[in-house]
Amino acid sequence: MPQEMIAVLMFSTMLLLMMTGQRVFGIIGFVAVVASIALWGTGGHTMGFSASMKLMKWYPLLSLPMFVYMGYVMSESRLAEDLYKMFHVWFGPVPGGLAIGTILLMVLISAMNGLSVAGMAIGSTIALPELLKRGYDKQMVTGTIQAGSSLGILIPPSVVLVLYAMIARAPVSELWLAGVMPGLLMAAFFIAYIGVRSALNPRLAPPLSAEERASISWADRISTLRAGILPLLIFAAMMIPFIYGWTSLVESSVIGVATTVVAAVLKGRFTWSVFEISTRNTLGISCMFMWIILAALAFGAVFDGLGAVKAIDSLFTEQLGFGPWTILILMQLSFLIMGMFLDDTAMLVIVAPLYVPLVARLDLGIPADQVLIWYGVLYTITCQIAYLTPPFGYNLFLMRAFAPPEITMGDIYKSVTPFVLVMAGTLVLIMAFPEIALWLPNTIYPD
Amino acid sequence: MTHALPRPLIVFVRLVDRMNYGVGRFAMYLLFALMAVLMWSSISKAFFNPSLWTLEMAQFLMVAYYILGGPYAMQMEAHVRMDLFYARQSPKRRAVWDGFTVFVVVFYMAVLIWGAAESLGYSLGLTWGEAGPQIGRLERSPTAWRPYLWPIKLVMLIGFTLMLLQALSAFIRDIATIRGETI
Repeated sequence: MPQEMIAVLMFSTMLLLMMTGQRVFGIIGFVAVVASIALWGTGGHTMGFSASMKLMKWYPLLSLPMFVYMGYVMSESRLAEDLYKMFHVWFGPVPGGLAIGTILLMVLISAMNGLSVAGMAIGSTIALPELLKRGYDKQMVTGTIQAGSSLGILIPPSVVLVLYAMIARAPVSELWLAGVMPGLLMAAFFIAYIGVRSALNPRLAPPLSAEERASISWADRISTLRAGILPLLIFAAMMIPFIYGWTSLVESSVIGVATTVVAAVLKGRFTWSVFEISTRNTLGISCMFMWIILAALAFGAVFDGLGAVKAIDSLFTEQLGFGPWTILILMQLSFLIMGMFLDDTAMLVIVAPLYVPLVARLDLGIPADQVLIWYGVLYTITCQIAYLTPPFGYNLFLMRAFAPPEITMGDIYKSVTPFVLVMAGTLVLIMAFPEIALWLPNTIYPD
Repeated sequence: MTHALPRPLIVFVRLVDRMNYGVGRFAMYLLFALMAVLMWSSISKAFFNPSLWTLEMAQFLMVAYYILGGPYAMQMEAHVRMDLFYARQSPKRRAVWDGFTVFVVVFYMAVLIWGAAESLGYSLGLTWGEAGPQIGRLERSPTAWRPYLWPIKLVMLIGFTLMLLQALSAFIRDIATIRGETI
């Protein structure tokens, strides 16, 4: 059988098996070990295990449980409550202000942790009930929280970019810096959308009433600003030593955990149940990630052994005669469609052996050492869109789990449409102007 | 009239679940050992000579953390599924699907155990003499600290075995669900 055929067979078997709803790590690992034994006989059986030794040596992965733990401590101890109050007081008086404040809250939360789960939990326990109580349109509210929390994986620190860095063998520090401008840009677009929409139809997002505004004194307003110190502190304690190279990524992540826990203890909110829930869920999420990556590495090793990337590359460029940009756009489109059905870790598995080497070979007029940094940002935005697109989207399900019963699944599906369009717009913009992503890393690391 | 599941199967499920719960709870706290090692690493780097052992020790702890915690995560249903169709089925239908497909996990674990056992044998320098297996030259990691590698491989072997047992336990639970019983 030609090798491209084996590659196609492996992928289609994996997708088919995934539809059965069995645990993803088991399916990926199963296809990988069956293929390796079928292809290389009894010598192939060690491939699955060697992946686990390889995984052990991936040092940056040690930061994964740290970021997960940090996110849980932050949301379980309700550290962000004061932050929400700050935005509530300052942005409440304008139409749509509370939703705009929620986006800004999400930006700050994203700067403190690397996944979207923490943002979802904080947004739906703190912001959601408040906004609904003030008569905000429920679709506007749920859309805002889902879209805002997805910024967690684009704004550093980002776990998704750490995983991508492993696959693409690109430096994490540059990838994180590359995510900053696109993340802020996307947040600005969200805010612009909410602002325009609420200005056109203030009934969707009414401002705070005059009495309520009068009840907040200027002294109170100023004192809420103190809440903003905490995220700055956590972000600085983590990022400054890392960017300057004093500590490694992993050591910085531990400093982040320590700062968060100390903050929670000082506020008297680090209770036994916060400790238990955070520790238990961190194990669950970390195991979920690590076992999938373990299986994915074995899958990738078989795939590399097949040399399938070269075959697919030549199919596109020589036989079909596509230009590099056409290929990139086709890849991104197929990726968006896959994102509707797969979660981001599974997407990484599929993309890793196929898209990353292909992008590295395309001549897009971007220096070779930067093209994978830029593609990392495109990849992350695609993951964000995948979080929000039905039928399978993490944030959609999380929203369903957190939202009160009067919000239906239909509301949740409809609520994301405008935000997905805004995200897709940002994606196109960054494809057209790679400088948006590459400017910051190039300024900080000029070489 | 259906008969209850054979007693040994029920005992097996309860035993495996309890054991993996215990091992998983232990693994859960390794997170703090990992944090301590990394904390020490940054402190020693800043104030004294950097320690040789922290990096590899942290890696070993991480492996033990997620490999030994895996079966407990499975009990918590933390391992993600593509549940587009799966979630819409009745519990019984789900158990039918799962009862068949859980064997992909079993097979994957069996191959991992096979590889791990071989690799562990190599790390211990095992040879088969007349008096049974003999331990020979022990494999060390090619770093400055030069730790032995067999302990971590043994941990992995144990973890994969526990995962296999957990998958079998899930299978028996599926059968029980299909027959309308609870264990």
